[in-house]
Amino acid sequence: MKDPSKPLGDSLQTHKTQSTAEQTMERLIFSLSELEHLGQTLISGHSNFNHSSKTYLRITLGTLQIRRGAILRYHATGQNLDVVAATPDETFAPILVEPDELEALLKHPFIENTAPPESLKQFFARSTKLSETIDIRLWIPLKIQDEFLGMIGLGKFLARDTLEAWEMELLTTLAHQISIAIAYSQMVEGIQSEKFRLFMLAESAPQICQLLQPEAAAEQVVQQAVSLLDANAGALMLTDTAQQALEMHYAFPENLLENSTVQDTTNGNGLVISYGEDTPIPQEATSVKVLKSVVKEGIPGHCLPKFDTLFGGKNLMAVPIPGRDGDILGVLVVGDKEERGGRITSFTDEDEILLDSFAKQAGVAIENAQLHQEALEARQLQAEMEEARKIQVNLIPETLPDIPGYEVAGHYEPRGPVGGDYYDCIPLPTGHWGLAIADVSGKGMQAALLMATLRAGLISELSRAESVKEEALNQSSLYAEIATMAMILNSLLYASGTEEKYATFFYSHLNPETDILTTLNAGHNPPLLIRKDGTYKWLGEDVGGIPLGMFPNDMVSSIAEYEAEHVQLASGDVIVYYTDGVTETVNIEDDYYEEDRLVEASKACKDKHAEGIRKYLHNAVMEFQGEADQFDDLTLLILRKE
Amino acid sequence: MNKFDIQVRESKEHAIIETAGYLNDALGEKLSEKAQELIQNGYTLLVINLEQTTLINSIGISILIEIIEALDEREGTLNFCGLSATQERTFRMMAIAKYAGIFPDEESAIANL
Repeated sequence: MKDPSKPLGDSLQTHKTQSTAEQTMERLIFSLSELEHLGQTLISGHSNFNHSSKTYLRITLGTLQIRRGAILRYHATGQNLDVVAATPDETFAPILVEPDELEALLKHPFIENTAPPESLKQFFARSTKLSETIDIRLWIPLKIQDEFLGMIGLGKFLARDTLEAWEMELLTTLAHQISIAIAYSQMVEGIQSEKFRLFMLAESAPQICQLLQPEAAAEQVVQQAVSLLDANAGALMLTDTAQQALEMHYAFPENLLENSTVQDTTNGNGLVISYGEDTPIPQEATSVKVLKSVVKEGIPGHCLPKFDTLFGGKNLMAVPIPGRDGDILGVLVVGDKEERGGRITSFTDEDEILLDSFAKQAGVAIENAQLHQEALEARQLQAEMEEARKIQVNLIPETLPDIPGYEVAGHYEPRGPVGGDYYDCIPLPTGHWGLAIADVSGKGMQAALLMATLRAGLISELSRAESVKEEALNQSSLYAEIATMAMILNSLLYASGTEEKYATFFYSHLNPETDILTTLNAGHNPPLLIRKDGTYKWLGEDVGGIPLGMFPNDMVSSIAEYEAEHVQLASGDVIVYYTDGVTETVNIEDDYYEEDRLVEASKACKDKHAEGIRKYLHNAVMEFQGEADQFDDLTLLILRKE
Repeated sequence: MNKFDIQVRESKEHAIIETAGYLNDALGEKLSEKAQELIQNGYTLLVINLEQTTLINSIGISILIEIIEALDEREGTLNFCGLSATQERTFRMMAIAKYAGIFPDEESAIANL
């Protein structure tokens, strides 16, 4: 028996020296052994047909004593035949097979190259390069039942023009063996591919769910989807429900959007697609429509390369990413599924189911990462709030000074997020006193820092005023001095914040010798003056300027200039300074405490000492509040003339 | 080394192929070509370093299997290194680990050829 690996020339030598019967017998024995070899190749675990196709071709040519030939494998998705083995070993382009040609190929066990059926003439015209290179005489379609698997093309037969009957039977058997090998290879490849996909699907879920950074989760989701679907591109777009827009979060490869011709807005990652009802776009690109449809309808969508303007002409498949509550978090897109050999093929129904399953896991991962991020931000905010609270508490005096002839009591109670309430009682070198109460807009660190700025500015201005001999000031000079201070504080706060950052501020200059209280209101709640006889008055109600820091000084002058006024205090008079946390306290029925209740409560306790009034008013507010939640700090400053 | 690239380092006894980028059909074919070339040149001890290849699809896997088969015919040895934990689990599940060694780094992969 001949060694099948020996060159064909040995068989030729034998042909010359032996009788025909002996030659036939030897070739039959050789063929039988080669068939056994084929069988062994098939079951040896060398499942990849492309890899072993050269062996199949060599055995076929050797058995039939033919110099040249080729084996072609059919790819149903690409509808073409690939030359997987050829003698001579050259590279050939895939040959397209039309559906009607496929039917014709299935009908014929053998086709002579010189006399093809009418229905296959076009096919053979497309195969000319291969036919001419190999000098193909005979084609043998490879099939199992009605499944077309490929073809064998055989060149010139050695020392004869046609194959004998027994050779044709042998060729039929060889072709059948090769068909089985291709089918087996396809089956194994399919199993391997499915095994890979199922494993990747099972593996990717816990992996991506462990990623706590939204950016890392987005990257992994896209890359896993690309790998899972044998795709060459992918993208994750997440919804911004407020803006009704799909925003690009990650694209693979990085330069995916380089060939995009979609005219739309962009974010840091390059693409934003609005999907709101009121944003119709004339002649809108199909790929954009598909993505909008996926996010709005919640069903998968496909787009052919010729209609893809998003990613530069790719075959796209997109699925919605569902959230826990059934809302759509975004869209996962894969593009250009590849086959062995680099051919781009269509995504199948199975692919769609697979990507849809993966998108559900991706939804959990994305939500996990988003929740983690929100928790982190909340923790950071909490830490910031605590720091801000410390700053704020440090700015409010622990104890208030004794003012001769007066009683002072203060109360600050944080309720909810850190606000910017502030009060102070500052002794002046002249023996006079500066009393201030303020409410800085906003919450958190910014509010606390703005409050610190205000306090620092106030103390600085009052120190500067030290040089002024207050005794020399008449009342109008004092008015001007306080108004100037307000303008300086306004300028200071305006420079350090934005329009949203401002402070309501009420300042009182107390001369305990004359009992004259000179006041200035910059948009603060007017303090309440309760006279001993029960009559009352709101201070700074009529001459109030706008809050500090809201507008630049030149605008303040034109809108509402800061103006001071004064009031003469008498024994038993009480002034209740407060922030809006008092009058805007709500009860369980959503009623506000409001100024009227403050007046009534103040009247009821006006004869108490300042500390007693503070306690009484606080209790009154708390009693009104009951079980209701509060979100603003509560601040009171009581000044009582003994 | 650029992305989507292959580097080959040859020594007297063995050769190391290093890949970077997505191991799909395009990169896989390049890898296969290099491996076949080395095998044709008589190398039967190969190391494939996948440290810079974080993404592999099923075609990449089938190409790796082919390289294992080609080397097996020559009774050669193939060792992998630089695999991520997921890749290692994939290789074990796809039975690649049955026919090729998996090692954490080049040094140990070479030592076990």
